[in-house]
Amino acid sequence: MISVTHLSKKYGTFVAVDDLSFEVKEGEVLGFLGPNGAGKTTTMRMLTGYLPPSIGRIRIGGFDLYDHPIKAKRLIGYLPENPPLYPEMTVRRYLRYVAALKDVPSSKVGSAVDRAIEKARLGEVAGKRIAKLSKGFRQRVGLAQAIVHEPRVLILDEPTSSLDPKQRAEVRELIAGLRGDHTVVLSTHILPEASEVADRVFILNRGKVMAVDTPRNLSASLQVREVVNVELAAPAGAGPTGARQLDAVRMAFEGLGGPGHVEVSSTDAGTIRARLESGLGVDVRAEVADLVVGRGWKLLGLASEPLSLEQIFLRLTGDQEGKE
Amino acid sequence: MRHALVIARREIESYFVSPVAYAVITIFTFVTGLFFSNMLVSYIRLSVLADQQMQRLGRSDLQLDVPTMVLAQFFGNEGFLLMLALPLLTMGLITDERRKGTLELLMTSPVRATELTLGKFLGAFGFVVVMMLPLVPMFAFLAQGGDWEPGVVFSGMLGLLMLAGAQIAIGLFVSSLCENVLVSAIGTYGLFMTMQFIDTSSSGPDSLWARLVSYFSFYMRQLNSTRGVIDVADLVYFASCITLGLFLAQRSIDAIRHTRS
Repeated sequence: MISVTHLSKKYGTFVAVDDLSFEVKEGEVLGFLGPNGAGKTTTMRMLTGYLPPSIGRIRIGGFDLYDHPIKAKRLIGYLPENPPLYPEMTVRRYLRYVAALKDVPSSKVGSAVDRAIEKARLGEVAGKRIAKLSKGFRQRVGLAQAIVHEPRVLILDEPTSSLDPKQRAEVRELIAGLRGDHTVVLSTHILPEASEVADRVFILNRGKVMAVDTPRNLSASLQVREVVNVELAAPAGAGPTGARQLDAVRMAFEGLGGPGHVEVSSTDAGTIRARLESGLGVDVRAEVADLVVGRGWKLLGLASEPLSLEQIFLRLTGDQEGKE
Repeated sequence: MRHALVIARREIESYFVSPVAYAVITIFTFVTGLFFSNMLVSYIRLSVLADQQMQRLGRSDLQLDVPTMVLAQFFGNEGFLLMLALPLLTMGLITDERRKGTLELLMTSPVRATELTLGKFLGAFGFVVVMMLPLVPMFAFLAQGGDWEPGVVFSGMLGLLMLAGAQIAIGLFVSSLCENVLVSAIGTYGLFMTMQFIDTSSSGPDSLWARLVSYFSFYMRQLNSTRGVIDVADLVYFASCITLGLFLAQRSIDAIRHTRS
């Protein structure tokens, strides 16, 4: 559906995207993962034909974006990082406008708009002006305009950034509902998001692809240790948590044998927090729980920590300085 | 070209919910009314004076075509008013799309830069036509009086619309260059004023320079039409301004993608 060969974008001497080649199959969901400035938006903009590449070819549904821009663009639905909205228009009028721009035949504009409103769950605000909508609804309007012409390819640039967790979950759910109908390319800087919706993830850094895999394999293959975070209530009647208490907790955890490295600190709320690192595949949570109960401490929290995107990047780029 | 009409229609609709456009249309209508009533007053005064001279002296040294004279002044004033009003209507044409990020929507849609440019031009032009509608009842009122010059009104209106078209095309081009509406407005005012007053810089009555600058002056180009003369050279001049403005705007809009943002 999408075929990209040797795609590069240079601004003067700065290389924003460096020699990218990939294929996306019909119906596949591809995620681009990377920190800010990795070249995600530049790549998205080139895929939609907004930005002309410095080098390389892009084919969308068999049409070369350079030779047949109009035919290729008809196949694309695009949600830029900031949804392209006209605040003075109502949701319905705006979607009718976009449908006409995207060459939906005038007799079908009405039904296309109704379908997009339904899919993006905008029914309750369809007659409202966009200026009056919350950020979450605006993002959904952005999504609705991207799908109003039922494009075969859907390109979403950071569709959930700048939303609160609830809105984020809603938008993510909407996107998950779109798979199957469209070939989707989306970018994000949140790993769980990519793992939730994407079939395949590209990790991008400084314009280069650092890794390509399924999200699950990616986090598994990069994870070389397990981290467990424990939170304890300070022992009652012992006064403010002092260095001695912290030492006692650390020694207890180190005595477990499993964890290779233990960090203990007190929090402002008067609780004790411990971070235990152990070798890959070693799950110390059960032992920790037993130990805590055995000592009569009060357990407030116990969770294993997934490898965060930053850590993956540090791992992939071999950047030791940022590690602290 | 369907896209051009779609874009033009949205543009006109958005003018009608824009406070700036409402302010412009209100002030334009008010000041036009002022000019119109002034025109009537001076028409009546001159007519009375001519009648009195005829009665006392048997002849009048006011050998003037009174209706034509006052209409010429009226259309001249309207041309000046357009120069003040239009930059406020064209300043955001492309600049706003850029600021809102909707240019990205337009340029990733199957829409050609030519269609976008033409749509924007037609939208602004359509709004100016609406803005001039209050002139219709004014002239209808004038026609009730009997003694008027429909030909002068026709040529005057044609001149105004051609002038507006040229100004919108140039304003559209300036807007495509600017990321800030204020800069866009100031730049457009600068260009319009230069074009309006460039003939005043002529040194002698018949020097080459004088002829050259008056050829390019909006004021001089509009002058014939205010007197009931439709000169093909003037029409060609305004049409050239429109073509050049639209061409530059189209090139410039297409080039926005290449700038790093």
